[in-house]
Amino acid sequence: MSYADQALSSYERALGRVPDGVRVYLPILPVLALVGVFILYPIAQAIWTSFTDKHLLRPDEAEFVGVENYGEVWTNPQIHEVLWNTFVWVSVGSIAAIVIGFVLGWLLHEKLPYTSVASAIVLVPWVLPRVVGASIWKFMFGGSQGIINELLVQLGVIDDYVVMLGSTELSLWPPIVGMVWRLAPLFALLTLTSLKGIDRQLYEAARMDGATPWEQFRYVTLPMMRYNLVIGFLLMLIYNIRNFSMVWVMTRGGPGVSSSTLPVMIYRAAFVDFQVGFASALSMLLFAVLLVFSYYYIQVYDKIRGEF
Amino acid sequence: MAADTTDPAEEFGSNRSWLYDTTPGFYLRKVLIWGTTLGLSTFILFPLYWMVVTAFKTTSEIQQIPPTVVPETPSLEGFRLVVESSLAAGGFDSFLGWDISSAIDIDVLLLIANSLKVAVGAGLIALVFGTIAAYVLSQQEFRGKNAIMSLLLASLMFPGTAIMVPEWELISTLNLFNSHLALILIYGAMTAPFVVWLMKGFFDDFPDSILDAARMDQCTPYESFRYVIAPMAVNSLIASFIFAFLLAWNELVFALTLLNQSKFTVPPGLLTFVQGFNTQWNVVAAASILVSLPVLAGLAYIQRYFVQGLTGGAIKG
Repeated sequence: MSYADQALSSYERALGRVPDGVRVYLPILPVLALVGVFILYPIAQAIWTSFTDKHLLRPDEAEFVGVENYGEVWTNPQIHEVLWNTFVWVSVGSIAAIVIGFVLGWLLHEKLPYTSVASAIVLVPWVLPRVVGASIWKFMFGGSQGIINELLVQLGVIDDYVVMLGSTELSLWPPIVGMVWRLAPLFALLTLTSLKGIDRQLYEAARMDGATPWEQFRYVTLPMMRYNLVIGFLLMLIYNIRNFSMVWVMTRGGPGVSSSTLPVMIYRAAFVDFQVGFASALSMLLFAVLLVFSYYYIQVYDKIRGEF
Repeated sequence: MAADTTDPAEEFGSNRSWLYDTTPGFYLRKVLIWGTTLGLSTFILFPLYWMVVTAFKTTSEIQQIPPTVVPETPSLEGFRLVVESSLAAGGFDSFLGWDISSAIDIDVLLLIANSLKVAVGAGLIALVFGTIAAYVLSQQEFRGKNAIMSLLLASLMFPGTAIMVPEWELISTLNLFNSHLALILIYGAMTAPFVVWLMKGFFDDFPDSILDAARMDQCTPYESFRYVIAPMAVNSLIASFIFAFLLAWNELVFALTLLNQSKFTVPPGLLTFVQGFNTQWNVVAAASILVSLPVLAGLAYIQRYFVQGLTGGAIKG
């Protein structure tokens, strides 16, 4: 045994016997194992389950049924309504959150004092436990004591209190308002951070060239922020489409399926109706959409990394 | 503005007169800006105000129509009921000679204890495994590194609703149903990629020269980590832990599907109470404030790291 070997502990000698090419992966292994077992493996498992008629209370009697679950997704009018709800939820919720968040971030950066304190306060809706935020909105939208009903009566929009959370026409909208409240601060902070990152000298140069404030915004601010805006946009889509708590706390997806989005429907199919196979097929649908979003997220991310 | 400013960029930054002009549109613009500010801050802040105010109302004032904007008789009844019902659920009939009879059924203190257990466990797992992986991913070049980073980033997008059904199947197969260990492992898996991205950003920016100096002084890799890197990384490490902690503290879906009522953490516990019959909103608001306190304390600390942690460092300020 050489002197160099004696200086090593037994642990280090054991490590030395691992081939060089493999050794570097060892420290990453625990994380990969966790992610693999608890995130990737379940996804693979769900692909199989979606082709069976697995029942929550009789999980051992699952039988292979081919594409029957997917056929039901395709034909079931309830699922059509849910998909339409999801589309409305994601598009309206994301656009509203982006517009409000952008204006808020811009105001924080350009117009308001105490930016760091103000942005901490603005962030509170995002970091509050999901259930807490949703509960506040459920209370505010309440049909008998809700402050929003009172506000609308005072403004003359409605004559008497309306049961918004229990009406098939209206029940989708209160959760969207709550979700915009939760997500807009996040987009505001992304906007604020990317505005801060723009070099002030660019504006000076633009002014020298005679750019008006609007032109400075259009030709300096927006191009400098473009990737950050895309990242923010994708995050809004992802957070909106995978949201469960806001709907479940406020309306439980009801009445009927009038306020159910895809995640809520998955929960209802699996844990209320016990149709695990069918719920897995729905999960595949959500999974496919998320896969597309995160593919673009990583693409944009790589572009940014190239630039910095 | 200081008169001796010589840096034109700094002067430009502090002199904002160019934002305004002397046309009549000036006042219109000012009104628009302050109107928007007022409207948006009301939208963001009013629900928070409403939660606080509701917590301090009495049960009879809660039921008033129309609701009162400022409590007429501020009281701590909501908080008292929360504590009392927790004590009652804990089997105490009287506490310091004070009779307890609770009409409501929510054991907030037990929920908080359960959540603490899960969140601290998940945070530690994510922190330890994530930091080690981040250090290697940052300092070494090897095959598949980019693929691993992308995989971890992608896995951040999925957890939650898309995999709640298969996750339930997995946990049943592993016989971990209705155990806090299952949640600790799942939350650890959900937040470890987060920590990897956050800490990798830190290690990437860590100056090599300091490590070289440590090596010159005969530090082993462990010693340079313990005595050189760790003291400098302590802020990032705490921020990572808080991120992981908050996710576990806030998570609803898995806690709801993988636990029975007796083991509930805060989110599903609060949910059951909110959805029960005849919800007493002042109690809900009081409980909400109690369970939000750790979150607000954490926010103060991680604000600086927020964007970086959230986007995997994609957006730099």
